[in-house]
Amino acid sequence: MNRQTETASEPCLEIRNIRKSFGKATALQDVAFTVPRNSLTVLLGAAGAGKTTTLRIISGLDEPTSGSVLINGRDVGGLEPKDRDVAMMFDNLALYPNKSGYLNIANPLLIQGVPETEIRERVLGIAETLHIGRILDRLPGTMSGGEKQRIALGRALIRNPAIFLLDEPLSSLDAKLRIELRSELRRLQKESGKTFLLATPDYHEALAVADTVIMLQSGEVVQVDSPQTLYDRPAHRLTAEFIGSPLINILQGRISPGEPAKLEFFGFRLPLPPNLSTALAAASNGFDVGLRPENLSVTTPSSATSQGELVDIEPLGPRSVLTVRNDFGEARILVAAADFQGAEIGTTLAVKVDHPEKMLFFDGITGRSLKG
Amino acid sequence: MTEPKKLTRLQAIILLVALILTLFPIFWIVMTAIKPPTDWNASPAIWIPSEPTLINFKTLFDPDAIRAYGVGGVSQAATSAVIGSIIASVTATLLSVSIGLFSAIGISRYAKNSKWTPLVILSGRMFIPAAIAVPFVIIFSNIGLTDTYTGLIAIYVAITLPFSTWMLKSFVDDLPREIEEAAMIDGKSRLAAHLTVTIPLIKGGLFATTMFIFILNWSEFLFALVLSYSNINTIPVQLAKYVTATAGTLYGVQAALAVLAMLPLIVVGYFIQSHLARGMTFGAIKQ
Repeated sequence: MNRQTETASEPCLEIRNIRKSFGKATALQDVAFTVPRNSLTVLLGAAGAGKTTTLRIISGLDEPTSGSVLINGRDVGGLEPKDRDVAMMFDNLALYPNKSGYLNIANPLLIQGVPETEIRERVLGIAETLHIGRILDRLPGTMSGGEKQRIALGRALIRNPAIFLLDEPLSSLDAKLRIELRSELRRLQKESGKTFLLATPDYHEALAVADTVIMLQSGEVVQVDSPQTLYDRPAHRLTAEFIGSPLINILQGRISPGEPAKLEFFGFRLPLPPNLSTALAAASNGFDVGLRPENLSVTTPSSATSQGELVDIEPLGPRSVLTVRNDFGEARILVAAADFQGAEIGTTLAVKVDHPEKMLFFDGITGRSLKG
Repeated sequence: MTEPKKLTRLQAIILLVALILTLFPIFWIVMTAIKPPTDWNASPAIWIPSEPTLINFKTLFDPDAIRAYGVGGVSQAATSAVIGSIIASVTATLLSVSIGLFSAIGISRYAKNSKWTPLVILSGRMFIPAAIAVPFVIIFSNIGLTDTYTGLIAIYVAITLPFSTWMLKSFVDDLPREIEEAAMIDGKSRLAAHLTVTIPLIKGGLFATTMFIFILNWSEFLFALVLSYSNINTIPVQLAKYVTATAGTLYGVQAALAVLAMLPLIVVGYFIQSHLARGMTFGAIKQ
C-alpha cells in the first residue's frame, strides 16, 4: 500500500465515469464523485438507483463496464477485493452461518493474523459499542434481524481500512435502535477519523448523518451537496419529492401576460422572483413550482392568497397535514395540530405562501431545477 | 421444524403400495441369495427358504463350491469384479465430483448463463448410451484404452460429469454469493474464499452428489461390458456372467452378488442421510 502519496487534500475515494451494464440494461451511467478523507458521505437513492452496484464496484466484487476507481489515489481496477483495503457491510448481511457472532466479527482479524489477545480485546470493544456482548457465542440462525445486522456492522467496523462501505447498515433495526445507532455511527466516524461511504434509501438517515450526500437516480448522480442544500435546493424534481415528509407540493406554474408579469400557480398571483424571471420565461417546456408544506399556511383571505376546499386532515402528532383542493390542483399544508382540531372537511380555506424565496422551480418535462 | 402431517387414509394406502413395489424386489433378491439351488426355480415359488444357506456367497469366491449341489459352476470368481468395481467407481466418482465442484462454482458465480446453458451441459446425456458406446470402443481401441481401468474411469468421468456439475451448481446457486464475497472483503482471495466458505457450506449437497455419482458408476453396465475383455471386470458385468450356457442361470449366486453390491450403498446412505438435510445456510442473510 503506497501510503506515502496520501495528502490531506487528496480524496480518499475517487470514482471516474463509471458505467455498468448488465446485458442490455444500464445500471450505472457515467457515475463520478469523490469522497473526501475523514468524512461520512451518503449515497442516497431509491431501490434500484444503483447504490449497491456502486459499492460492489468500489469493493472489487464487480468490475465496471468502463471507468475507474481510485482509492487513496491508486487505481484499483483489476485488483481483488482483499487487495483494495476496503471493509464492506452487505445489505443482506451475509454472515457466516456456521460461525458464532464472535467468530464472524473476528474473521477479518483472524485472516490478517492479528494476535489472539488483541482480537479478543477489539471484538469485545466493538461488541460493547453495538450492544451485542450477550450474543457473541450464538450462531446467526438464532439471532433476531437487528442482532444480525449489528454483528455484520461489527465485522466491518473491527477493521482499519482506507474506507468503510456500508450498504443500508441500519435498515432492519427497530426505530429506537436505528436512531441510537445512527448517531453512534456518526460518533464512531468522527472519533476514528476514518472515511465512511454509506448507502441508504432513507433520507432521514442521510440528512442525519451525512457530511455530503450523493443523490443517485436511475444510475445517475443528480446532485452532490450538503444535506441542508439537498433539502433546500434540490437539483431535480424527483430529488425534491424523494426528500422530505410530508411530500413537497409540485404545482403547475405559468407566467401571466401583462405588466408587470406575475407568477401564477394554484390560484396564487405572486410577483416574479427577479433572479428567475428570465429562466422561467425561457422555459419552453413549462415549469412546475415546488413548495414544501411548511412554507404554506392558512390565513385570512387577501389579494396574495388562494382559496381551496379542505379535503383531508392527516394528524402527525404536534402537527397536521391539511390537503386543500381547488381548480388548479391539490396542496398539502403543514399546520400546528391544535389550530385545526375539529376542522370540518369541506370548508373553504385561504392559503398563503410564507417564504416566497423558498419556492423551487423545475422544468416541466426534464424535471431539472431552473436557476437564475 | 414443523410437525409431521397426518396422512389421510388414501395417502397412506398409496404410500403403502409404493413401498411394497419398491421393497419387494429387494426382499426377493435377499431371499434368493440364501436359497439352495433347488429352491431358486421352485414352482410354486418358495418365499422364505426352509433351509437358508450361504453356499451362493461361497460360490462367488470359490466357483466350484456350488458343485456340491450338483450344479455346474462358473469359471471365474467374483473377486476381480468386486475389486474392479471399487477401483473404477471410487476413482471415477472422486474425479467427477471434484471437477464438477469447480465447474459448478465457476458456472454459478462467474459465467454469463444463458437459457442454453443447461442444454449444453446435459446434452451428452441425451444420446442413447448404446449409440455412443460403439464410437467409444473404436476410438479407445485405437489409442489402447480398451480393457484398462484408465479407459473405463475416463468414460465414467465423462458420463457423470454433467450430473455432478449440474447437481452441485444447484447447491452453489442456493448459497447467497454475498457470504463468500464477505470472505473476500475480509481478506481472502477468490480461490481461498471458495475453498473455505463456499465448499464447507454446501457440504450436504457435496455428499449427496458424491453418493449419487457413486451409484451411477457402481451400477454402470454397458460401457464396462463393451470395454472389458480379460484385464478388467466389474460387478454388473460379473452379474451377467451367471447366465451360463451349460447350467442355466445361477439365480442364487447372481442374487448373492447383487446383495453384496447393495451393501456399500446402504452403508454410505446411512452415514450420509444426516448431511442430506438442507438448511445449512439458514440465518445467513436477511430474508
